[in-house]
Amino acid sequence: MNWFPSFGFQRRKRELQEEIDAHLQMAIADRVARGETARAARQAAAREFGNILLVQDVTRDMWGQAWLEQLGRDVRYALRQLRKSPGFTITATAMLAVAICANSTVFSWIDGTMLRPIPGARDTGDLVSLQRGERNFSPTPPFSYLDYRDLREQNRTLTGILAYHNDWIALTGGAQPERVYIANVSANYFDVLGIKPVLGRFFLPEEEARAIPNVVLGYSLWKTRYAKDPAIVGKSIEVARHPVTVIGVAPEGFVGAAPGLRDDLWVTLDPLGTDVWRMTHRDSDWLIVIGRLRPGVSRGQAAQDLDTVMRRIVSAYPDQHLGDNRITLDPMWRSPFGANGYMAATLPILLAFAGVVLLLTSANIATLTLVRFVSRRRELAIRQSLGANRMQLVRQMMLEGVVLSIVAGVVALILTLWTSKTFAWFFPANSIPLVLNGNMDHKVVIGIAVFSLLAGMLCGALPAWRSSHTPAKEVLKAESASISGGSGNRKLLSGLVVAQIALSLPLLLCSGLFLRTLRNLAGANPGFEQDHILTASVGLNIAGYSDDEAQSIRHKILDRVSALPGVEVASLTDWIPMTLIQKRSDAYPEGYVPHPHESLLVENAEVGPRYFESLHIPILEGREFTLNDDEKAPRAIIVDQTAARRFWPGQDPLGKKLRVLGSLFTVVGVVRNSTHTFVNESPEPMVYMSFFQAGYETIVQVKTEGNPLDLAPAVEQAIHGIDSRLPVFDVRSMRESTQLASTFAVIESSLAGMFALIGLVLAITGIYGVVAYRTQLRTHEFGIRMALGASRVDVLRLVLVQGLWLAGTGLALGLAFALGLTRLIARLLYGISGNDPVTVVSVVMLLGGMSLLACYLPAHRAMRRNPVTAIREL
Amino acid sequence: MSTSMNEKDQYRNRIELLQGTLDMLILQTLQWGPQHGYGIVQALRLRSGDVLQVETGSLYPALHRLERQSWVQSEWKQSESKQKARYYRITAKGKKQLASDLGRWERIVEAIGSVMYVKPEESES
Repeated sequence: MNWFPSFGFQRRKRELQEEIDAHLQMAIADRVARGETARAARQAAAREFGNILLVQDVTRDMWGQAWLEQLGRDVRYALRQLRKSPGFTITATAMLAVAICANSTVFSWIDGTMLRPIPGARDTGDLVSLQRGERNFSPTPPFSYLDYRDLREQNRTLTGILAYHNDWIALTGGAQPERVYIANVSANYFDVLGIKPVLGRFFLPEEEARAIPNVVLGYSLWKTRYAKDPAIVGKSIEVARHPVTVIGVAPEGFVGAAPGLRDDLWVTLDPLGTDVWRMTHRDSDWLIVIGRLRPGVSRGQAAQDLDTVMRRIVSAYPDQHLGDNRITLDPMWRSPFGANGYMAATLPILLAFAGVVLLLTSANIATLTLVRFVSRRRELAIRQSLGANRMQLVRQMMLEGVVLSIVAGVVALILTLWTSKTFAWFFPANSIPLVLNGNMDHKVVIGIAVFSLLAGMLCGALPAWRSSHTPAKEVLKAESASISGGSGNRKLLSGLVVAQIALSLPLLLCSGLFLRTLRNLAGANPGFEQDHILTASVGLNIAGYSDDEAQSIRHKILDRVSALPGVEVASLTDWIPMTLIQKRSDAYPEGYVPHPHESLLVENAEVGPRYFESLHIPILEGREFTLNDDEKAPRAIIVDQTAARRFWPGQDPLGKKLRVLGSLFTVVGVVRNSTHTFVNESPEPMVYMSFFQAGYETIVQVKTEGNPLDLAPAVEQAIHGIDSRLPVFDVRSMRESTQLASTFAVIESSLAGMFALIGLVLAITGIYGVVAYRTQLRTHEFGIRMALGASRVDVLRLVLVQGLWLAGTGLALGLAFALGLTRLIARLLYGISGNDPVTVVSVVMLLGGMSLLACYLPAHRAMRRNPVTAIREL
Repeated sequence: MSTSMNEKDQYRNRIELLQGTLDMLILQTLQWGPQHGYGIVQALRLRSGDVLQVETGSLYPALHRLERQSWVQSEWKQSESKQKARYYRITAKGKKQLASDLGRWERIVEAIGSVMYVKPEESES
């Protein structure tokens, strides 16, 4: 078996052999010439030459390749040893593979999301995401077009700065309108990202602010809808019933600048000239801005520079920039726009958990290895007395661990090819174009190599060093007296067991807390009705109807759906709570003087008549919207409790005035707070405007008598009865829609739960293995004790106390470790504190109880032994 | 494999003792023409009047080391007695090394000599 086939090495070995043969032949020939017999000559020549193997050995050392050959020999030896105990080898490899796979899976998810924020873009490490004002976990677009232009022209620290706005729209012109995700982008968008077209061109600077209906297609849209038409450039397609010209196709893989979200096509900021208002007003914040740092400029310097520019803008236009305007920058891996903000809050913590699992597994395998080495101590002692030095033995024993971990790494690699793609499973159906998944690339492979080598060293090094310590003479002399390989080994074994228990406790505690968080989230009352509600989106805007047409269609929808049997209440809205979609605008209450840097952003939604009734949100004061709150009527607004308390503390909010998006609204009602995005959010002020005055998207919201999904076909049919070309999409029950809000809690609790289960099994088998092993070694001693009058209970106590002492120490250490660790996850918990006594006590009881059982089994076996046979057994 | 470790160490020590000196002797032998390992042993024995008996366990490692340092080159040739053998030839670099080795050797001999043959009056003054 040749593990390191090196042609040159083999040839040189052969040549050395021939050289020595030639030497001997010549010596023999000389002696024969001098008259010796052939036989005597051969013997004398051989004697004179000395130990041929040794000469070869020391000569080969000179080649500088000896280590390679030695390594090959050590690897062969390690493989032979591992083959001798297949049980250990298979168990250890499987355990390590699972632990490494846990790490590499989470790492592949990080790699696919945080480390690849914008697939296809050049040097994403130089990109920074700009945020203005109060930092928010899921902010809305922070910049107006004119502010963005000023930042672009006046900054001195960025080589480029792009702006985009995500939206959706319908591709018309085909048989059925198709909803696609579109982004309005600044002309330099592709340049700053470093993207080159596969066909045609991207936007020109002079096209940016002008109404030129050009469009760039995404690769997958080009492929699926236009069958990779090579002559697509220059053709006209229909978007929302407007003809637009295709000028280029983006390369495969590029799906836009928002991490984790997909764009299907790109247009300039105002391609049809219909959005003049938001192109010319500084208080219309609709753009997300990304900059590319100049070489050598730090993020801090750029933030300072941009902040200076922003301050100039604020002092020139103070009325459009009330509140906090400080600029902060984030690297793309934790950009708050897109999905990475959520990823950065969850995945690193899960990777830390996986790391603990790997440590735990290594400790477990180290105990097994140590026990194996103890049983091989005779072999080790013989080799030591034959001249092997300690370093050689340690190296060889460590190599067994490394060989195991390399095999485990390969298995983990194969597993990860599949598990990396399971990330997408966690996301329920939703209306956001999420493209989140794990990714398998060289970084993950390197990661696996690092994880497995680390594990290999950990589970090989300690036992190897320990075992090589035993003086050879002692072992050979006293075969069974210094049982269990001396007190050094005993201490190490105990230490490893304690470590396993101490490491598994935090895993169990965190998973307990996550599971209870998930239960609390599911059981929490969001303040609105989730059952018996069906929602369906109607693509009125995106299909390009005129305003009047759209308005009349909306009324028809309301009438027809209300009349359906099984429908209790039908309403219209342009927003569904808890779907990770938020709309925010600045609100300026009349007579309210904001504090310096106070953010005046409020969340807003546009809702139709009977919206609150259908969701069971109580009206505390005033009234709900009616059909009369239409375009001809004075603008009406309904606020929630948080908004009322903030803007008009101690006053009656009814009749108060509020300026939003340039219009003045009168408060006609106050409703109770309800959840906007996450159950565990801190409440933000919310204002509701009348759907028929300010609505944009059209979502039909139906309260049903029975299962809402039963009504889905009827509702769709009713809408298509008005115009069969109306795009209807995202038809879902409210329950299903709001699941998205707890996705991350689900990810956290399922992974933490799995890791904790692995940890529990490892810790329990660890303590069981060690106690059972020690008890077996002491069988003889127990026999003598019992022969001398010790009762069975005494023996039981002896074994139990020993095991429980280990378990107790582990639990105490683990508890300290766990309580420190839960602080890291406190932010992710809901309805429970990081050191919740019930969870802590039950987890400690669980681990303690299982440990007790693990110690009891071997103790019980020892107790039941017949003292006579026990004494005989040596 | 590791059983031979102690013996191997002994060999190494011997090489170290002779190092420099053995290199110099080998290079000097090769000055007279290309030679194989056996030939070098014989030549050294003959010229030293049977005093220097080079161990093969020192010779071959030394030859292979010298080759790695490019002080000698080797090629396979037929000997006079039709025996195929590996012949070593000294290189230009090796000759330079031999000159410096010889210079150092002479200084050492001189230095040792001046220690060993000190005149009594000089040491007392």
